Amino acid sequence: MASPVLLSALTVTMSLLVASAAMAQSKESVPEPVIPAQVERREVHIPKIRANDVEFGAFAGILSVQNFGAKPTAGLRLGYHVTEDFFLEGTYGRSKVSDQSYRQLGIPIFTKEEMPLTYYYLSVGVNLFPGEVFLGKDRAMTSAVYLVGGVGNVNFASENHTAYNFGIGIRVLPVDWFSMRFEMRDQMFTSDLLGKNELKHNFEMTLGLAAYF
Amino acid sequence: MRPVHSGREYVHELRFSVRKGTAEGSRHDTYKDKPNRLAGWCFCVLLAFARPVFADESHDRVLVADPYLELHTGPGRAYPIFDIAERGERVDILGRHTDWFKVRTARGKEGWVSRAQMEATLTEAGERKTFRDVLFDDYLSRRMEFGFSFGRFDHDPLLSAYAGYRIHENFEVELTIAQSAGDFSTTSLYYASLVSLPFPDSRWSPFFALGAGRFTNAPKATLVSATKTKGGLANAAIGLRYYVTRQFFLHMEAKKHVALIDYNRTNDYTELSVGAAFFF
Repeated sequence: MASPVLLSALTVTMSLLVASAAMAQSKESVPEPVIPAQVERREVHIPKIRANDVEFGAFAGILSVQNFGAKPTAGLRLGYHVTEDFFLEGTYGRSKVSDQSYRQLGIPIFTKEEMPLTYYYLSVGVNLFPGEVFLGKDRAMTSAVYLVGGVGNVNFASENHTAYNFGIGIRVLPVDWFSMRFEMRDQMFTSDLLGKNELKHNFEMTLGLAAYF
Repeated sequence: MRPVHSGREYVHELRFSVRKGTAEGSRHDTYKDKPNRLAGWCFCVLLAFARPVFADESHDRVLVADPYLELHTGPGRAYPIFDIAERGERVDILGRHTDWFKVRTARGKEGWVSRAQMEATLTEAGERKTFRDVLFDDYLSRRMEFGFSFGRFDHDPLLSAYAGYRIHENFEVELTIAQSAGDFSTTSLYYASLVSLPFPDSRWSPFFALGAGRFTNAPKATLVSATKTKGGLANAAIGLRYYVTRQFFLHMEAKKHVALIDYNRTNDYTELSVGAAFFF
């Protein structure tokens, strides 16, 4: 916090020193130049432009886990827009799984009826159909239909599963720094929890809000 | 929310007529009263919905050096062009999204211009360097970086994330967390490594790394009589980086991990991975 004060103090002292040196020099100055130099100084100013390519937000919706019911899910999302077509995204979410239907039959799978489920993904997205959404006659919002897919990890019943996700979504930007989206994804992983090792499909439907930085 | 541009132009014209109206309003012209009232209403609507059109001095103002700038309605090549700014005009640069710049013309029009079309304008404003060179300079002077990668850890998939700090022109310190959830067990790796970059200034930059850290392996609960193993970890890697654009590069590497489980036992694993990273 003190550094700008220190810096300005330093600058003042420096300029005083330079000025006094210059004055000392001017006393013993050389004769004036015959042809005075006429140099037009160009104003050099490098624009500092703030880019808002990082997107940070939250989402909430429903996650349906194969064999274990559908439960609410919520999470956070951090994205980076590389070009107008591509973006990278990290997702972290939490949900629950329940073995209620197995318990009713007298064959509990988990130690408790409800167990937490967490997942994270690193995904690549492609803005497939950029466009505009029109509200009435006078309002327009930029939008994009995108495809997203990636790899990650799903942890439930105290086990990690390497998982793949693939989905489609629509993103709408009411203002340049804020976005809303609706997304559907399939989270896939193999599990042998029910005896046979097989690929499970888990559908997720979420609504998200995000800000651009 | 942004107004549709054709509508906005209409409102602009009406606003202009408000100004004209006040200038000539003292005349006993009853016909002029009607559009003025309408324009007044529109002005109220404009105040209520649209963002301020007046120039904000905090933004960067540049002189257009390119023949002309095309203003698109959104940050993408497909968005329609609704206006232009000509050479010699002054525009405010309001912000940037990927390779698109949001500008406001002297007439108050706001739109998105592609980087390719802004090149001369931006170069003129700064030094005699193309914009791409300026970006590459950022790459050369990078300090912090973050990245992730995906690959194979022997026969299991591996996900890893790292944070790096450049301590010297040719050296970097990295902290990595990696996880491999396989069919029989989950392996976690935490390690720090020293990365040597012999050619840090080139777009294709090879690297070598040595690391040390911790290793844990937890078998699946469905497996009987399997125990969790922990130990030290040492690794060595060779790899290649490719600078793509802006703050973004890709990397690929081959790494040999040795897990030091106890005095008599070590396990070794081979990692092959590709990934993406950003620097600041």
